[in-house]
Amino acid sequence: MLSTIALDTQVIRPGLCTGCGACQGLCPYWGSAEGRTVCYFDCERKDGRCQQFCPRMPTDLNALQSRFFPTETILPEIGPFLGLYRTRAAESGIRRGAQHGGTMTALVELALQEGFIDAAVLTRSRGGLEPEGVLATTSKEVRACAGSSFQVPPTLAVLNRALQENRYQKIGVVGTPCKTLAVYKMKAKPLPENDHHADNIGMVFGLFCGWGLDWDGLKNLTEKHLNGASLIHMDIPPSKYHALELQTNSGETVSVNLDEVTPLVRSGCRYCTDMTAEFADLSIGGARSASGWETDKGWNQVIVRSEKGMELLELARKKGVLEFEDTPEGALDKLKAASLGKKRTGGELLRQRSEEL
Amino acid sequence: MEWTMTANTPGQVCLMQGNEALVRGAVEAGIHFAASYPGSPSSQVLGMLGKIAGERNFYAEWSTNEVCALQACIGASFAGGRALCIVKQNGLLCTADALHCAAQHGVKGGLVVVTSDDPSAHSSTNEFDSRWQAVSAGIPLLEPTTMQETKDMIPYAFQLSEELGQLVLVRVTTRVCHGRGNVVLGPLPEQPRPLQPVREWDRMVCVCYMHAPALEKLEAARQEFETSGYNHYSGPEQAKQLIVASGAGRLYAQEAVRRLDVEEETGLLSLGTLWPVPETAVLERLRCAEKVLVLEEVDPFLEQNLEALAGKHQLSITFLDRSGAGIPQTGELDPDNVTAAVSALTGAALPEKTVPEMELDLPEREMTFCAGCPHRATFFLLKKALRQEKNPGIVVGDIGCYFMAGQAAGQYGFQVCNCMGSGINVAEGLGQLTNYGLNQKVVTVCGDSTFFHTILPGLVNAAYHQANMLLIVLDNSATAMTGFQPHPGTGLTAMGRSVKPMDIPKILDAVGCSVETADPFDVVESEKVLRRLLQKTGMNVLIMRQLCATLKAKEQKRPVRVWVDQDKCLGDGCGCDKFCSRVWGCPGNTWDFKANKAFIDPVTCVGCGVCAKLCPSGAIQVEGGAEK
Repeated sequence: MLSTIALDTQVIRPGLCTGCGACQGLCPYWGSAEGRTVCYFDCERKDGRCQQFCPRMPTDLNALQSRFFPTETILPEIGPFLGLYRTRAAESGIRRGAQHGGTMTALVELALQEGFIDAAVLTRSRGGLEPEGVLATTSKEVRACAGSSFQVPPTLAVLNRALQENRYQKIGVVGTPCKTLAVYKMKAKPLPENDHHADNIGMVFGLFCGWGLDWDGLKNLTEKHLNGASLIHMDIPPSKYHALELQTNSGETVSVNLDEVTPLVRSGCRYCTDMTAEFADLSIGGARSASGWETDKGWNQVIVRSEKGMELLELARKKGVLEFEDTPEGALDKLKAASLGKKRTGGELLRQRSEEL
Repeated sequence: MEWTMTANTPGQVCLMQGNEALVRGAVEAGIHFAASYPGSPSSQVLGMLGKIAGERNFYAEWSTNEVCALQACIGASFAGGRALCIVKQNGLLCTADALHCAAQHGVKGGLVVVTSDDPSAHSSTNEFDSRWQAVSAGIPLLEPTTMQETKDMIPYAFQLSEELGQLVLVRVTTRVCHGRGNVVLGPLPEQPRPLQPVREWDRMVCVCYMHAPALEKLEAARQEFETSGYNHYSGPEQAKQLIVASGAGRLYAQEAVRRLDVEEETGLLSLGTLWPVPETAVLERLRCAEKVLVLEEVDPFLEQNLEALAGKHQLSITFLDRSGAGIPQTGELDPDNVTAAVSALTGAALPEKTVPEMELDLPEREMTFCAGCPHRATFFLLKKALRQEKNPGIVVGDIGCYFMAGQAAGQYGFQVCNCMGSGINVAEGLGQLTNYGLNQKVVTVCGDSTFFHTILPGLVNAAYHQANMLLIVLDNSATAMTGFQPHPGTGLTAMGRSVKPMDIPKILDAVGCSVETADPFDVVESEKVLRRLLQKTGMNVLIMRQLCATLKAKEQKRPVRVWVDQDKCLGDGCGCDKFCSRVWGCPGNTWDFKANKAFIDPVTCVGCGVCAKLCPSGAIQVEGGAEK
């Protein structure tokens, strides 16, 4: 099937597209507008990178995982696993702008400084609305990308352009599970005639993810609740709060009932079965413990998945870039249970959708 | 050629094109006034009249539209002037109200309307038969076949018009306009005759009580046509099988009758005066006929009239209509389909083909924009901008070169298109419905010539009623489709005078539209402007300004060289897939089949450089071209 038609009929129209950008930045045919993946013109090639990289096109996940990770490290619930850690950035300046403990920002900055990577593809959240993908090469640029957005920008378009340019040889990528899966599909070099300079992909940093939100939907929701104030941060506390928290530049925090938010979940996210970004060197998310949200929201939990990931984390410990706390008892089981929950729900919805189609 | 238009050498034989014969006829008729709006196939007529108007001491203008043209001719006629109005099929329909009113109030100086039809729509968007307008308005209708007749019918039409006090319609078709033949020149008047001052109690007013006198004029015309030299008959006196033909069909019929060797038993009645039908003359032939074939383009105009006549006189005749004679219901006649029809009429066997059919494997080509045409860039950007909208947009087309945007040339750019000047109104309707649940962006386009032609009233309507829409004015400073005739935006007249050009932005501003201007060749910026304007409510206008490629090529001081660095070109590989030649689609962007890479045809390329801006791998290079 023609490439553009394949993605259009198998991914976009059925509502599976995650908006990751893996199909973009490669050619004049694909682009993005307000989080929507847009086909400008038809490409008549039989196969191409867009189809091969798309995380929602058919993928043998087990084969892909065992190609890059030792089979014995792979846990069925959360993927490759070398260890679980509770950390936060030692520097309070990093923590201030961070979503939780600033571990990601600190680690990417360290990876850049220590030559693990020579550039990083990141998402600048811009307070949570209209985020954009950026290619960062300095600490300052990395720090500007602290914080999360629930709108999903096509960050991988930036990676594709950087790989095409062939200027950096060890590009780090930070992304949600759909994005890191696409990056590993790139690393697998699926097209014999075009390796897309995939060897220039350095480390992959995964972000835990529940779901992203519809671009316009979130924009309208915040407009409705903020009355003109500007948004600087948004977060979703543990499920018992049942809320989305919006923080304004005047320091006010507006709590929005999650019932208003869940209808805005991006269609493609409903079918996702990966919570912890199983394709990555390291995956990072918000911490959960018995001490409660007020403490936990300043900390992260980190899954180390590869030797290189472990090397970076240990270097961060040695250099004092990260602070460590003991992982609370039962944390791994809780994480496994949550991850499994997403796998079940996403899998079930995907089955239903397949039957509808 | 121009000397044949004005040479006072009666009796001289000249080879002339039909359009030239019309001009010569007008000059021999001593016209005072000529007005037209360009339209194929008769676009050249006023162009030529404009060039010789000074020498022959008459006035000629490219009017803003056909209504202006006809009504200006009515004014000239009121002062006793001979006025010639030239329009194409669609233009005649445009003038319908003026035409019908003129038919009721009549004329003083001769007023002749030449309407050119384009059967098969060779250079039109559609195919119409103008002849019904003569019936509807109730005015005499002539149709020439040869170049000589074409020339002669114009002075005759003026004479008839003045005898009757009625305007006269002369219908020509593409083959007549563009065909060539010998014409014997007639004498030229020294000067157009003096005008007659309009007196206090002179009247040309369209009121109901003028209807009956108009019908009397028509009856007088019929009587005149009964013995007209423009109708001929050849064949046996008592022909049982009869062909009635007009226009180009007449020559094809003559040829077919000879080819099939049925001259002895087949009658051929050729009619040059079509309305009112000269009933007595026609009945004389119908009375002995058993089978009748009518050859005409395109509608069964004569056929229906002859059938009615036969019915009225209880004649038992079998009429072969187009489908009965094996001719398609639409499109032109040609020697082959006419021969087949005559064979169906007479039972004569079709001659065996002595020449084997040529099997030429020619590629099928769609019409497309010229190399370097700014419209290609505009529609490319419009498609990109609309694809970024959450809901698909609606694009309303209009008539001009940019009609081709409906095909690959414009990325299949519009979904609806009515007639010239309709875009703004169709879009206004859709734009109003965006307040009633239609959640789509509405865009329409018009060229600069069309803008003056019929957009203006629609613009006032849309702006006044605050429709949510975007009008894109494709300003290429030319009436390019029909051959660069001047229009009010150009600062030139048909007679070559320089005048103050109309300023489109000022007009738009005065009407109260929000106006922006962009350059379609600045692809990045123009896409942003389009995206932004699509988000705005109310009546917005974007002027896409860039000179027509053909004009630009003439003005280029230094040649531009655009070429493909084939080492950088991705060809049909992932990341490009022949983007320049396959999607952008400029005729200059071709394909090097040996190297499997892009190639720019240096003969076709005019050096606009847009493909270099769009090439995904930066393989297209532009050199030279900076103007002094």
